[in-house]
Amino acid sequence: MWNYEKRLQFPINIKEPNAKLAQVIISQYGGPDGEMGASMRYLSQRYSMPYKEVAGLLTDIGTEELGHLEMVATIVHQLTRNLSMEEIEKSGFANYYVDHTIGVWPQAAGGVPFNACEFQVKGDIITDLHEDMAAEQKARSTYDNILRLIKDPDICEPIKFLRAREVVHYQRFGEALRITQDHLNSKNFYAFNPGFDRCESCDN
Amino acid sequence: MNSEEKKLHDIGIADFVLTDLMLYLDTHPSDQKAMEYFNHYARIKTQMEREFARDHYPLRKDLAESNRDWRWGSAPLPWEGGCN
Amino acid sequence: MKDYSFEEPFEKYPLAMAYVPWQHFTQMYENLEKGYRAGTIFPELDKPFTGRRCIK
Repeated sequence: MWNYEKRLQFPINIKEPNAKLAQVIISQYGGPDGEMGASMRYLSQRYSMPYKEVAGLLTDIGTEELGHLEMVATIVHQLTRNLSMEEIEKSGFANYYVDHTIGVWPQAAGGVPFNACEFQVKGDIITDLHEDMAAEQKARSTYDNILRLIKDPDICEPIKFLRAREVVHYQRFGEALRITQDHLNSKNFYAFNPGFDRCESCDN
Repeated sequence: MNSEEKKLHDIGIADFVLTDLMLYLDTHPSDQKAMEYFNHYARIKTQMEREFARDHYPLRKDLAESNRDWRWGSAPLPWEGGCN
Repeated sequence: MKDYSFEEPFEKYPLAMAYVPWQHFTQMYENLEKGYRAGTIFPELDKPFTGRRCIK
C-alpha cells in the first residue's frame, strides 16, 4: 500500500504562465516516455520478479516515479493556472482547453492520450530490466529535449532534477541486472526464465 | 524563504538523501557506511517532521493527531507552490 | 576505418549481455543542498546536460 506525504519531492514555484511550454512538458505526464508510464511499468513488473532485491528496487523506483508524476503535473498546473483567454487563444492551447479547461490530463505533447502500450511487462527479468534501462534513457532524452526549450530558471531547476533521477535509476537498474546475472549461469544467461520455469531443463 | 518554507525545504533535502541512499542500499544491502548515513538522516527527518507538524501542519496522516480541528485537510496543497 | 578491437578487463565478461559498472560508495556531496539541486547525492552520478544546437 502507499502513504502520501503532503509536499513535492523538489520545490516548484513558477511565476510566469506559459501555455506553449505546458503543452510540451505534459508529455512527461502522460506521454510515451512519461512518469505515468514509468511508474506503472515498474510497479506492474514487480509480481513476476524472481529475486526479492530486484522486486524491492522496482517498488522503490516506481514509488519515486509517482512523486515525479506529481511534480510534472505541478509544473503544467502552475504554467496554466493564470492564463488569460487571450493567451489561451494565441498559444495554441485552445484545443486542450476545450476538452479539459485547465485541468491536468495525461496525454503526450502531440495530444495522444496516455496509453499502456507504451510500456511492457514481459514476465522475464532480463527482458524487463533491459526495458527499464531503455525507459530511463528515453525519459532522459525527453528531458534533454525539454531543457533546450526552456529559459525560465523556475521551470529549468525541477526539470534538471527530474532528468538527473533518470541517470541514477539507470545505474540502479543496471546493478539489478548484474544481480540477476549473478543468480544465473554465465555460460548461458538465456537457458530458462527464472520467473517461470521451475526446472532448468527437462532432464532435472 | 520564510521559516516555514525553510523548514519544509530542509525536510525535502533530508528525505531526498534518504531516497538516494535507499535506492543505493537496495542494490548494496551490506554497505555499512551507506547504512550509517541512512540511519543518521532518517533520525533527522523524523525529528524535523514532528516539529513541522507541531509548529505548522502535518505532512503525513500519522502526524495529524490533534485535540482541536482536523489539520490534515486544511494543510496547503503541494502543487500550489509557495511553501516548498 | 578504425579497427575496433578492445582488450579490456571487461572483455572477460560473457557475450550477448549488458553490464553497467558496479557503484562503490565513496562519498556524498558535502553540501547536501548542492546534491538536492543536482538530483543526486553521489558526485559520480552527477552528469548534467549541457548541449546546445547552435544552428541559426
